[in-house]
Amino acid sequence: MFSLLALMLQEGHGQAGGASGPFALEPGLIIWTWIVFLALFLLLRKFAWPFIVRATEERERTIQQQLADAERLNEEAKASLDKHNQLLAEAKDQAHELVVQAKSIGEKEREQLLARAREEQEEILERAKREIDAERDRALADLRREAVDLSLAAATKLIQQKLGDASDRKIVEQYLATLEDKS
Amino acid sequence: MIQAEVDIGEILMHHTADAYSLDFSFFKLEWHAWPWAEFHLLGTTFNLTPTKHVVFMLVAGTLLFMTMWLVGRILERQRAGQKAPHGFANGMEAFVLWLRHDLVITNIGPHDGPRFAPYILTLFFFILYSNLLGLLPWGATATGNLGVTAALAIMALFTIELSGLFKLGIRGYMRTIFPSLPGMSGAGGLLMSLAMGPIEILGKLVKPFALCFRLFGNMTAGHFVILTLFGLIFMFGNLAGWRWAIGAASATLVLGVMLLEIIVAFVQAYVFAIINAVLIGMMQHEH
Repeated sequence: MFSLLALMLQEGHGQAGGASGPFALEPGLIIWTWIVFLALFLLLRKFAWPFIVRATEERERTIQQQLADAERLNEEAKASLDKHNQLLAEAKDQAHELVVQAKSIGEKEREQLLARAREEQEEILERAKREIDAERDRALADLRREAVDLSLAAATKLIQQKLGDASDRKIVEQYLATLEDKS
Repeated sequence: MIQAEVDIGEILMHHTADAYSLDFSFFKLEWHAWPWAEFHLLGTTFNLTPTKHVVFMLVAGTLLFMTMWLVGRILERQRAGQKAPHGFANGMEAFVLWLRHDLVITNIGPHDGPRFAPYILTLFFFILYSNLLGLLPWGATATGNLGVTAALAIMALFTIELSGLFKLGIRGYMRTIFPSLPGMSGAGGLLMSLAMGPIEILGKLVKPFALCFRLFGNMTAGHFVILTLFGLIFMFGNLAGWRWAIGAASATLVLGVMLLEIIVAFVQAYVFAIINAVLIGMMQHEH
């Protein structure tokens, strides 16, 4: 900085050859300028500028304040909206979860019911089959006995003699068994 | 015949130069440099004897302070009385506010602008008053003195650089001298940064230098032109028959240049202040 000053001083002296021409640079004047300017600056800053720009500065401050307030309120509104949205999303999630849960429970229930129904059905079927088998067996036994009786009666008639003892019966039953096997 | 007794060049140099005298024609005052006001610093001799330009600076400062103080008081009274603003004070308020907004805040920014406003406003009006005082009869233009403009430029330099130092911190400020160059990193980038250093420092010094010489040149040149045109009258003063016409032509031209000088007084004050504000703003927003 001072080298610049020295350069300028040299220039001034070099061109004017002394401190009298318009191109002379008087170092004392630099100090004077600073003193005058600084005094003026301080005085005006204290006694003049504040009163001239006060109204505008106040208005600026008010507007700035209002803008800041608006921004803050906006921020708050945004935050509460965010919170609201989050709550809504949570509620939706919960509802969804509940529905899913209910669905799965219903599904399970249905499965169980179906399984039980199937079981019962099978049981009933089984029982029916068993009863039919038993009935058939009984009917078959009856039929067989009837057949034996009829055969014996027929045989008695045929050979004119009473063939009623146990050994005869056995022969016929054996014969019938062979018939059964063939059929 | 050309009159030779009047040395126009001498008048010109004498008029624009600083002096230990005041000359109002009706009132003359001359003094000599006071030896006791002299001191030496850094190999330079400073003499604090007030000169013509010091007196005119003081006059400009006093007038400026009176104007602004009065304007402030009138405005306060108008506001207190709930009266509609009117008159000179209102005009000055509008002028000051326009400068504050368009010149300072627009260039420095809404946050830092108001802090620099008093400085820039004082600078503008001080230069303006000094410029205008030089246009008055018997007036002298303090801003047409290299010492005054140099002092203002040095002040501008310190304001710009210190504002940057305070705003950016030492690290940030050093970046304005050794910039980090985009797209360059490592040793090459460092080398380029260091190489940019002298250029950046020179750039920082050149700007106030230009401020100093622009104001000085503009104010001095106007006076040279006016005095040269007036000189024509003296040069052709004994040219019988033509001298009236030459006188009338010179006076008309001088009137025109004078009017131009009024514009120049405003423009140069504006230019000095706005460049100062722009440079402060550039420094504040350097990243």
